[in-house]
Amino acid sequence: MNEIKIIIADDHQLFRNGLEELLRKYDDIKIVKSVADGFEFMQLAKSQLEVDIVLLDIAMPNMDGFQVLKELKTLDSNIKPIVISMHSDGNYIAKCAKMGAFGYLLKNTDESELILAIRTVNKGKKYFSAAIAEKMINFMSTQSVSENLLSNKETEVLGLISKGLTTNEIATKLFVSSRTIETHRANILKKLEVKNTAELIKRAAEMNLI
Amino acid sequence: MSIKTLILIIINSLIALVIALLSFSSYQEFSNVLNDRVLQQLNSIKTLKKNQIEHLIKSEWEKFESADLYNQNIDSAVLILPDSIKNRNGIHDFTTYHIDKKTTIGFVSKSKKGTKIKILEYNKIKKILFERTGMGNSGESYLVGKDFRLRSQSRFYPNQTPNALSVKAENVAKAFKGINGRGVFDDYRGIDVYSVSSLIEIPNLNMVILSEIDVDEVTMPLKKLKERLVSLTLAIFLLAVIISLFLTRIITNPIKNMQKSLRIMAEGDYNQTNEFIKNSDEIKEMFEALANLKVALQGAVKFANDIGLMNLNTDYQLKSSNDLLGKSLLAMRDKLIEFRNNEENARILSKRMLVNSLENERRRLSRELHDGVGPYLTSLKHYIENKVENELKKTEMKKIVDDTIAEIRLMSNALMPSSIDDFGIGITLTNFIESVKKSTTVTIEYEDLTQQDNSKITNHQAINLFRISKELINNSLKHAKAKNIRITLSEFDDFISLFYYDDGIGFDISTVKLGLGINNIKERVEICNGKIEINATPGKTTFEIELPVEL
Repeated sequence: MNEIKIIIADDHQLFRNGLEELLRKYDDIKIVKSVADGFEFMQLAKSQLEVDIVLLDIAMPNMDGFQVLKELKTLDSNIKPIVISMHSDGNYIAKCAKMGAFGYLLKNTDESELILAIRTVNKGKKYFSAAIAEKMINFMSTQSVSENLLSNKETEVLGLISKGLTTNEIATKLFVSSRTIETHRANILKKLEVKNTAELIKRAAEMNLI
Repeated sequence: MSIKTLILIIINSLIALVIALLSFSSYQEFSNVLNDRVLQQLNSIKTLKKNQIEHLIKSEWEKFESADLYNQNIDSAVLILPDSIKNRNGIHDFTTYHIDKKTTIGFVSKSKKGTKIKILEYNKIKKILFERTGMGNSGESYLVGKDFRLRSQSRFYPNQTPNALSVKAENVAKAFKGINGRGVFDDYRGIDVYSVSSLIEIPNLNMVILSEIDVDEVTMPLKKLKERLVSLTLAIFLLAVIISLFLTRIITNPIKNMQKSLRIMAEGDYNQTNEFIKNSDEIKEMFEALANLKVALQGAVKFANDIGLMNLNTDYQLKSSNDLLGKSLLAMRDKLIEFRNNEENARILSKRMLVNSLENERRRLSRELHDGVGPYLTSLKHYIENKVENELKKTEMKKIVDDTIAEIRLMSNALMPSSIDDFGIGITLTNFIESVKKSTTVTIEYEDLTQQDNSKITNHQAINLFRISKELINNSLKHAKAKNIRITLSEFDDFISLFYYDDGIGFDISTVKLGLGINNIKERVEICNGKIEINATPGKTTFEIELPVEL
């Protein structure tokens, strides 16, 4: 039976020891090495050492977890990272997921879930618990990044301009300062390469923006 | 010495000098002319008398010569003529031969027919000599013989024999030498006289005729003139003194007034408004200049006062390129502006440092809790997982540890969310607002328009924006009774805008500052070099905060 070869990367000796002791109980898991920072881990990742999974902390000296994820991606390594962090915010989770983490665990995760995650990831699947996934999705839902030429806000402003509202009226409606609207308007003119409102409306209609 | 005395002395001494010179020269001139005239007149009188006498003697002589009466008709009792005389033809002065030395002119003619002697009638000569037309009171003409004794009756000593009076005057001696004498001399009385003399041109007679007049009489008008001149001089001088006194008063009064004004100004009072009589253009101009000076000084004083009150935006027009006071004041103002700016900068800097150190401390504590204490607690959990056999106890203990860890997370986040450093303000605010929403019924809408990847918002700005937003949300929830909160954080190329709105009850900006932490918000905006605009009306409270993008 193939053992799951694991590296623990965390700057807390006590945490590493506890984790090691916990995992040692499982025959299918073998802790190959435990390192105190990302830089040390990357040295190992670049070596011929055979490793399946890294339990990766985010906050580490020398090289943090994000940096490690980025480097692993560029290295096209086979090591599957599971982030194990104190951070419970969705943005951390989302970022790690985006950067190629196979799983995200809080440090105080229960033993059973930890083992489940390791085993799931070892099969090549991703593991995000229901609670973690929810946090991530909640965060991502607040993010509204437009792929279009104009940002969502700019499209909104453009719509109000085309309805003939003045800058102040738009500002009041959108709960921003007049200067913000003026700046948005100037940015829209620049992006659509027009010089005045009349041209703007014409161009926006042509582009089906309004 | 006062200007009045000075003017008085100068004017009056000038006047006195001029009058004195004029008087003296006119007196001198007059005296010269008088001298000349007197001598000329005397001369002409003398010449006339000399001619008359010569004519008289000659005609008498011719009469005597032509007469055939040969006798020596002389009183030998009184006149003792020596033979030497009797033998000499001609006209002789016999006085010396007269016993009483009475003036006697005699004719002697000795021919073949005999010797004729005749005594000229003295009265005829006397008549000529005593003719005193044009001779004034003291004038006289008289004859002097070779022995320098008088040969004619003196007007002044009518009872004395002429021969008893002797003349030693220079011009007599001159006349005997054939030179006409003229001038002022002592006469036989010892009195100064104008005197002209000449020799009677009759051979052997040896007599000199003198015409004289007393100097005293002649110079009488001169003395009067002198007196008159002196009194005139004094009168003019007195008049001059009076006029100059009047004049100096006209001149010095404005100067005194000016002096008074200047003294008041020297005491630092530039507001006096004394009106003075200005009696000449110069003085008018002088007072105008004084008024201008006053205005200029008042301007400077006002400016200095403004500066003193730290109204440093006041400007001051230099009165001229030489306005040293103005220049100094401007320099002072500029220095004060510089000082104030420096002080302002130092104040902001120290505030910023204070806030920074506070935030750093919070960050350190937050990290310590999150990354230090947190892992220990997880280690404790691992320990429980590994060592505790009793499943019930295990579960219970794990729960306590998990709760503690959750609490640590909250504390760490409350101190400073690590997202600020790792993700920036946009996401941190998102997280914060999401967590707030869980514990309130107020609707909070937050729009994050910051750049996700290339945000130019600095960590310092991010922390302050976070604290400001937190404070604002806190206010809205605690005090404003708001139903809706709208927050927009926009990042542009050149500025960052935080727009905050709630529909709460608002507040009075001028009074409720401290309680709502608005001062704290303003200070944080200030240390970020930003601007803040607050509108707090019931139902619509807005905060517009704008920070510059720092390059």
